[in-house]
Amino acid sequence: MSVHVAFVGNPNCGKTTLFNAYTGARLKVANWPGVTVEKKEGAFRYHNQQFKLVDLPGTYSLTSYTMEEKLARQYILEDEVDVILDVIDASCLERNLYLALQLIELGKPVVLALNMMDIVQERGMEIDTHRLPEMLGVPAIPVSARKKTGLDVLMHTVAHHAENGRDIFPDHHHGNKESTHIHDHHKEFVMVYGDEIEDKIDGLQARLLEAYPDIVNPRWHAIKLLENDEEIMRKYPIPLEDILDRSYETDIINQKYDFIEEVIEECLFNKNEKSQRTDRIDALLTHRIWGLPVFLGIMAMVFFFTFTVGDWIKGWFELGLDWFSDGVGHLLASAHINEMLQSLIVDGIIAGVGGILTFLPNIFILFLALALLEDSGYMSRVAYVMDGIMGKLGLSGRAFIPMLLGFGCTVPAVMASRTLEDPKDRLKTILITPFMSCSARLPIYVLFSSMFFGKYAMVAAFSMYVIGLGVAILTALAMQRLGKGGGKYNLLIELPEFKRPSAHTIFIYVWEKIKDYLTKAGTTIFLASIIVWALLNFGPGGMVEMGAQGSFGAMIGQTLAPLLSPAGLGYWQVVVSLIAGIAAKEVVVSSMGILYGISNINSAKGMETMVAALAASGFTGLNAYALMVFCLLYIPCAAAIGTIKKETNSWKWMCVSILFQLGVAYLMAVLVYQIGSLFFS
Amino acid sequence: MTLLQGEIGKSYQVQEIRLQETTARRLQILGLLSGTRVEILNKKKNGTLIFKVRGTRYAIGKRIAEGILLGGEQP
Repeated sequence: MSVHVAFVGNPNCGKTTLFNAYTGARLKVANWPGVTVEKKEGAFRYHNQQFKLVDLPGTYSLTSYTMEEKLARQYILEDEVDVILDVIDASCLERNLYLALQLIELGKPVVLALNMMDIVQERGMEIDTHRLPEMLGVPAIPVSARKKTGLDVLMHTVAHHAENGRDIFPDHHHGNKESTHIHDHHKEFVMVYGDEIEDKIDGLQARLLEAYPDIVNPRWHAIKLLENDEEIMRKYPIPLEDILDRSYETDIINQKYDFIEEVIEECLFNKNEKSQRTDRIDALLTHRIWGLPVFLGIMAMVFFFTFTVGDWIKGWFELGLDWFSDGVGHLLASAHINEMLQSLIVDGIIAGVGGILTFLPNIFILFLALALLEDSGYMSRVAYVMDGIMGKLGLSGRAFIPMLLGFGCTVPAVMASRTLEDPKDRLKTILITPFMSCSARLPIYVLFSSMFFGKYAMVAAFSMYVIGLGVAILTALAMQRLGKGGGKYNLLIELPEFKRPSAHTIFIYVWEKIKDYLTKAGTTIFLASIIVWALLNFGPGGMVEMGAQGSFGAMIGQTLAPLLSPAGLGYWQVVVSLIAGIAAKEVVVSSMGILYGISNINSAKGMETMVAALAASGFTGLNAYALMVFCLLYIPCAAAIGTIKKETNSWKWMCVSILFQLGVAYLMAVLVYQIGSLFFS
Repeated sequence: MTLLQGEIGKSYQVQEIRLQETTARRLQILGLLSGTRVEILNKKKNGTLIFKVRGTRYAIGKRIAEGILLGGEQP
């Protein structure tokens, strides 16, 4: 029998680091059914005991205000969770205990993992780990996910607790010794409220049991009814008017914190709130004047490394690919394989998929940088630093986080907009985030700028990021003017302690992204390559010569080419790759390779062939720049569209977003080409 | 006075939260209740500020800061 453990905890409590410490990279990432919240599952074995671990989204409480909270709560209540593992940041015990009290109230076995004990010791604080379980009625195990200490003891406790259920009974007086309440709730429950609330709980509980005899944990449901919890009120409609004259939520929160203060009083010593390291770093990073320049400097460095170091490693990848492609070509030829199959493998698959794989180093560095920014705690400072500027666009500083993540990948960036409270702010952020240039667009810039702009290649590529940001800002401003913005830009974000990023967490984060990229290369790009290859080799009259007129691809391209010629993109090959690029942006590059019959498009030789082929048809640097701008701004990819549909939950907004991006891309590319033509012709 | 009017480096006691219900609730869940002690750590010209409550730092926008009413300064 496998023990089913749910990891729950506040954001920034180190929950994911602890989860990763057990599962390593062997975890299954999927979405919760129906929503785009990530669900991580992993398995772990300890002393012949099998554990199934599930990482729930980080939450501050278990109310039903956000999707994450609802999910966590439903999962724990309905699923077969054996033990709730509440990961607590012991260096800010006080706030973390609030969620702990709510979890204990759910009535399932709870084990507290007192994480970050190394920081607690570093600051000279002490936690009485004997008194704490006594007061809370659940085991509390000190661990450090980063230093991997206490992990075995924790899982041992979890296994033990799953078998024996509750074996610690709370021992505390809870302040109100003079309670006139007839029941001795103090022996049974950890969190006991004042007499007024306890009376109401009893009343509601009796009524719930009468109407729903099978209800699990009626006390919890009664408390939720007192809090006017919409979901529970809908699910268990019972007459409430005579008991419930108002919402008792504020009282319940207040009393929980009163109890927490008692616990802190008895269990935490040398409460040292000064954390000098964070204060010192914050003095610079959130400085009134220096905060913004420091941020811009950091981002400039990120892109500098992405392009320079990434390109340097990419050179080695290309050599490898060249060698591989030639080798496979020779092998297939010497084995007398069917010529069509040879063409499919070498010109279709290797040219398409291989061309994309060489960008792995650039993408690796970009995601590594984003992971470092997130894990160190800097990301939320960016929200503070950018709050003023974003305010002018009618957005809270928090909206800048999805935009920043958009440099990595539009899909998680659009999902991250969920942290914005106001629905209008969310919609606005979702509409502008796709303009932030994602890593899939990078191969296009790198390829075309190194083909056409020589020593200015890096500047040309970098200008795409600036144009993208500019378009995003203009869009937000325009929406603000049109009154479409919420305007209630309410920033509220936790600034976690700065910490040295955990190598293991970073590794897993980056590995997940790289895996996504490889999977994409193996599936979407693979399929798109085959389709593009087929479109080029077949026409209404059967098989045609590769890349020739008369193929289906040429026919589609030629029909649409006139439309794009004002933008300097009136070439059927370009049109075909742009259409194929909707599957994934990298496909624009892989298709170009296939279209021009170049097996390794990124190598010097491949590029020369391509430039020659393009130049012959009058495609110059200006056309290339217009193409880059178009690629920057048009539909990010099918996956991003799917995510926008899910997150806005509206076909209308999905279509608006698609049409808007196409329109802006066309307009900008035409502007670039037409204005450029005046200067360069 | 409100949190927005507080001075950097000083501590105050929260008297009342006058905000839209959902925002108020979120703050309460984080432990910002009447009587809680808060310390202002940093503030920008546009009113965005960083404060500390129960050992954790938060950044909040001007509109929220305006809705948090403070009692007297605390040592």
